[in-house]
Formats: sequence, C-alpha cells, structure tokens
Amino acid sequence: MTSIGTGYDLSNSVFSPDGRNFQVEYAVKAVESGGTCIGIRTKHGVVLACEKIISSKLLKPGCNKRISTVDRSAGIVTSGLLPDGRHLTSRGRDEASSWRQTYKAPIPLSSLASRLGGYVQAYTLYSSVRPFGVTAILGGWDSEAESGVDGQVGNGPAAGAGGKVDDPSVKRGGPALYMIEPSGLYWGYYGAATGKGRQAAKAELEKLDLNSPDCALSLKDAVLEAARIIYVAHEDSKDKEFELELTWISALDGPTKGRHEHVPKELLEEAEKHAKKSLEGDDEDEDDDEMEE
Amino acid sequence: MNHYPQAWGRPRNDVYGPYDHSYTHSAMPKTHTQSPAVTGTSVLGVKFKDGVVIAADNLASYGSLARFTDVKRIRTFAPNTVIGFGGDVSDMQYLDRLLQTLEINENYLSSSEHSLNARNLHTYLSKVMYKRRSDFNPLWNMMLIAGFDEDEKPFLASADLLGTTFSSPTLATGFGAHLAQPLLRRLMPNDEESVKDVTKEQAVDAVRACMKVLFYRDARSMDKYSIAVITKDGVDLKEDEKLENQSWAFADQIRGYGTQVN
Amino acid sequence: MFRNNYDNDSVTFSPQGRIFQVEYAQEAVKQGSVVVGLVSKTHVVLTAVKRNAEELSSYQKKIVGVDDHLGVALAGLASDARVLSNFMKQQSLASKLSYGRPIPVERVVNMIGDRAQSSTQHYGKRPYGVGLLVGGVDDLGPHLFEFSPSGLTQEMLACAIGARSQMARTYLERHLDKFADCSREELIKHGLLALKESLAQDKELTVDNTSLAVIGVGSKEGKRRVENFKMYDGQEVGPLLEANVETSGTGEGEGDAMETDS
Repeated sequence: MTSIGTGYDLSNSVFSPDGRNFQVEYAVKAVESGGTCIGIRTKHGVVLACEKIISSKLLKPGCNKRISTVDRSAGIVTSGLLPDGRHLTSRGRDEASSWRQTYKAPIPLSSLASRLGGYVQAYTLYSSVRPFGVTAILGGWDSEAESGVDGQVGNGPAAGAGGKVDDPSVKRGGPALYMIEPSGLYWGYYGAATGKGRQAAKAELEKLDLNSPDCALSLKDAVLEAARIIYVAHEDSKDKEFELELTWISALDGPTKGRHEHVPKELLEEAEKHAKKSLEGDDEDEDDDEMEE
Repeated sequence: MNHYPQAWGRPRNDVYGPYDHSYTHSAMPKTHTQSPAVTGTSVLGVKFKDGVVIAADNLASYGSLARFTDVKRIRTFAPNTVIGFGGDVSDMQYLDRLLQTLEINENYLSSSEHSLNARNLHTYLSKVMYKRRSDFNPLWNMMLIAGFDEDEKPFLASADLLGTTFSSPTLATGFGAHLAQPLLRRLMPNDEESVKDVTKEQAVDAVRACMKVLFYRDARSMDKYSIAVITKDGVDLKEDEKLENQSWAFADQIRGYGTQVN
Repeated sequence: MFRNNYDNDSVTFSPQGRIFQVEYAQEAVKQGSVVVGLVSKTHVVLTAVKRNAEELSSYQKKIVGVDDHLGVALAGLASDARVLSNFMKQQSLASKLSYGRPIPVERVVNMIGDRAQSSTQHYGKRPYGVGLLVGGVDDLGPHLFEFSPSGLTQEMLACAIGARSQMARTYLERHLDKFADCSREELIKHGLLALKESLAQDKELTVDNTSLAVIGVGSKEGKRRVENFKMYDGQEVGPLLEANVETSGTGEGEGDAMETDS
C-alpha cells in the first residue's frame, strides 16, 4: 500500500503533493467492492441492470430494489455504499422536481447528469463532508414528443404565429446514459459498468459494438444481453448468491412508453434463462476444447 | 441632476413629468384574490354500480367572452382517479401541477399497489383548498373527484374554494348544481342505495342529457365536451364529444326572438 | 493498519474505502440486548429481551408503537431510537392528516434511512447508535425492515439484532420456509423461541424481561382490516410464555448483571 497518504489522506479537500485528493480515491475503493451495475444505451431505449449480492438468507427476495426512478423517464443505479446511493437518488429527484417547477417540463437527462455531477463534486471540496462512496449510472429517455408544458389545458390556435413547429427535420429527444464517479466526473456512454465485476462487464460491452451506427441491437436484445453480462461479471464473486434486477426505458412508441420501469416478470425470467444457458454454453465449449487437445 | 437614492434608476422628472408615487401608498387592500379571471363552467358527476361518470365542457370563458374552446377540464390521475375542475383555469393548472408532483412522488415507492386512491386525493385537495381560503387567497375552483375508494367502491366527492366538501351519488358544480342536479337525482330515488341499480348506460345517458340542458340554459357553456367513464379497468376518456339532437325549436316562442315582437 | 488515524470522524474514508465511525456505531447495536422480528403473509411479530440497569430499576423499553399499523424494536442507544421513533410518529400523523391514509411502511423507513445517512456524511454529526427492526402493515401486506446506523434499510423475512443475535438468526434461517403460512399464534411461538436461542446460558425469558408486539392484516366483510399494533408487556406476556416457551418458573424476573444502555 504505497499510497497511505502520509498525512494528506486524513481530510477531504486536501491536495497531496502530487495533486491527488486521497479521500476521493479511497471513496473509489468503496465502489470497487460493491455489486456490479451496468447500463446499455441503444437507439430504441436504455437498459439498467444490477447484481444484488444476497448477504443473508433472511432478506425478502424481490423487494430490496436498487434501481430507482427519477421523475418519470430516468433511472439511476448505484454501486458502492448503498445509503450514499439513496442520498444521491434523493438529490436527483429534488433536482428534477425543481426543474419541473421552474420550466414546467421534465428535466433533460444531460441537465440531470450535470446537476448530479456538480453535487457529487461539491462533496469533494470541503473537509466538513466526505465524498460519496458510490458511482451512479443514470439512464433515461428524453421525450421526442412535442410535450408542451405541465398543466397545459388546450392546444393553442391551429394556424398562425405562436403555433408549433411540426417540421420533421427538428429532432428532439432520444436515449441517454451517463456514469458519475465519486470525484464528480461524468461522461456520456453507450455502455457503462461499475462495481466489482466491471472489468469483465466492460469487456463484454465492448464486444456489443454499441457505438457503431450500424448497431442493430433491439431493446429486448439489450435486456437479454444485460442479464448475460451481469451473470458473466458475477463469476468474480461466484461463491455468493445474487439477485438480478433489470429496468428499461423505451421510446414513446415502445414497451414502456417513455417511462422508467422494472422489466416485466416474464421478460426477466427469459433473460435469466438465456444468461444461464449462454454461460453453460461457454463452459461446454471450454470442455470441448480441452477434450480436443 | 438629482442623485439621491429615490431618483436612482428613474427617468428624470423634468423630461418625463413628475413621478407618480401613488402606487406606494395604496390604502386599498388587495382585491385580485376576490374574482377569477378565465373560468370554466359546470362539471357533472354520477355514480353507477361499477364506477363513476364525469363530464365537463371544453370552454374557458373570459367573462362573457368564449375565449378558449379546446380546454380540457377533466384530468386523470393514475391509475383510475379523475378530477373535473370548474372555476378559474390558472388555479386549475396550479392544482394539476401539484397533483402531478404528488403522482411522481407516489411512483417512487417500489410498488404501484400503494398509489393514492380517489378518497386520499380528495382529502388532500380539500385541505389545500381550506388552507388557501384561510389565507384569504383562495384557489377559485370547485372540483369533483371521481374514482374508487380504499374498499374498491365507486367514489364521488367535491371540494370548493371555501374548503367545503360534499359527497353524494350525484354531484355538479356551478350552474349544474341548479340545473343538472335535479335531473341527475331522478336516477337515485334512494340516494346511495340506488347506486347499485344504475347501469353505465343509464348514467352516461343522464349525463349527456344534462350537458344538453346546460348548453341550452347556461350562457357560458359550449356544445363540445369531455366525458370520462371510470371503472376498475381504468379510465375511458373522450375529449371531443359534441352534443347531439339539440332542439332549438322553442326559441321562436321566446319574446324578442323569431317572428314574435311581444 | 492505522485504524486510529481514520476513525476519528465519519467524514474520513480509510484507505480500504471503509468508514470506521459507522462500523463502530454498528458495534453499539451489537451491545444492546437481542430483538427478533419475523413476518408471515398476515402478521408481523417483534419480540425483545429487556435489560435492567440494576436489581431495583425498571427494564428498558425495547418495543415502541409508532402508529396503529407500525412498531419498532430497538437495539443499541435507546435515546437515539427515541429520536427516530418520534420522527416516525410525526410522519405517520402527517400522512394520516394530509391523505387520510396510514403511511406506507417503505416510505417511513426510507425517511429514517436518509436521516441516518446524512449523519454519516457531514462533519459534527455522529451516526445513530441504534439498530431498529421496523414492523408494519400496509396495502401490500405485512413488512419487516432492518435499519442500521449506516442508513442501510432492507426488507427482511425475519431478522435478529443485538447481543448474541447470531443464534437467533440461525434459528430463523432454519425455519424460514414455515413463516409465510404461520398463523398468528405460530408466528408468536417462533418469535419467542428464536429469542430464547440468544439468551445467555443461565438466563430465561420471564414476564419482566420479555416483551412482544404483533400487527396484522386480515379481511372482515370483504374489507381489508388492520389488526392494530398490540404490545404484550409485563403480566400480559405470562400466558404467551407459558404456552410457547418452557420455563422452570414464572413471575420472578432476575435482573441481568449491570450492563450499559440496552
């Protein structure tokens, strides 16, 4: 452990001689030991998935949900210290609510990510607080409809000035996926992974080629892939049992109608079966290879 | 040049005339809270054995001007509660946003089985209305809340700008309370006991008939309206209904219209 | 390692990414006497072993009724538990006042979880030194939540916290499959037997040192009825103990050796 700060790591907001904030780096360590979380962004929607390690047989299955909704069409999943994750989700909800009150419209995901990133970064500035021990993956769908304003009563005049822009070349809305780290740094992603099994998960996500414009992954395929990747990432903690949680947000004409929802039970079961089968398939291939040798 | 603070930021008196300070010492109290601006008229509601029917026309009047003709005064709240607003439209929008915030927050609970039913929303709204009236700044509305209560029975109640609440098998706001209620009450000879004998078709027909009467007699109404039928399966909301089979034949007997002069 | 450098306050991460002050707070929970909670499809039961500071002093109350449909059992610093349970009482009242409905258990538990988390992230505050088992019923049925000083709240099928609680947890894990279909009496029996497992060698459950609470949900005339929070303390526990737990004598509770808090 070469980086035992020698005095520069006892307080938040303190720079070490080589320009590091050790408390933030230690916070990242807390994230690294948490359950794996991933997000996949496709043209048709976003999928979030979470590996919930079962710490006790006494836990009620299917109840302790880790992926939370912010406003209606965004979801947030955190890896690391779970109470800090709830604090961040709470803040996200407050930001969305205050945006709605000011602008009478849902918060665009880029603005939400920016607000949350700024909030997390603020907790790295003062010694009277500690950094968040979570990395958050934020996914959602910005509505493509001319949604008007909250509380709108009518549609306005059908012709003349002050009307809507019905020009089809004006494109609005679409999928969004962001990942925010304990330092407050965040980027937009096509595929994001954090937690214990992130290396394995990242490798699998790269194979999906999500950023290519020819990527033909449908939303349902993304759900199946997300489940499979969690199972692959779980290999790192094989000795412990886990519960898979999957959520998705589709376009307005898709299965969730633009809302962030948990994946329906049938699809969840199908995804788990598909994931388990492909893992077995891999094992069989390995056995075949060995036999051939 | 007057450099004193009271002149900062103000146009010069010698160029624009003396400054009008009358706005600072108004002995008059605020009166904008005493009248609504853009208003909607009646809302009607009737319970039937499997649910509730609620209807309101699509007009927002600015005094006697029929200002906005596509106003949706019936608003849905998940999963099967409907609120119809009569009265000031901007206050209706405020309440609508308030209820939307409530709905988003309820959605944060991990299961949708917790959602607020119509009775909970009515309790909440009546407290909001009463609080505003006690602040001498009322939300100038009278609204009907329709849906189901915690025992899955049809629920219909009203709350108004004074914080007064009513619950009854048939309810109406505004002009409807005078003109439509007697007609709707014909369906319910035994009050609450009659609800189980009323079918959906009877309730909807009664409401449509009353909307026609209101268009005949309420000067601030319109012939296009929205009607919602709420059952356990959800809300069936139709927003562009037109009144049918209107009979204006009586008009020629009204003095001053038609051929009669006296 | 250098544990003592990184454990002065809760705003310091250790190099391994742990917050020692929170872990120390969790030790305070382990010092308290054991409490057990378990849930079936219709009921939730909380049981507790009470301690007294001296022979002649009263026994520390371990179970607090928060509302008709909610109760908590505490282990650790009782004064911290009081602060949290008072907050829960206020929130329950507010929900009843605003919406006319009892607060969903998940919501109130998340609220105390967030309060606890905030004391682990800001300087000058200390983590709550108490663990709670929150039992309650709502539209979804009966629930049991475990609350810990870190702010982590989890829904459980059964749980035990406090001194020697591992023995109780082992009992609960062994019988886990039976709980869902247990009747009220069977659930109470399991709760008391699990509690007994955690007692020290020479100790017994008596009317003085045992307390028990039950909340349930059932249906009467088709309506969902809540069986209100009922606590059994003192002599009331007697019949339950006799029925479920074999004791060598009744009535005389012997105080435990002097221990701090409860």
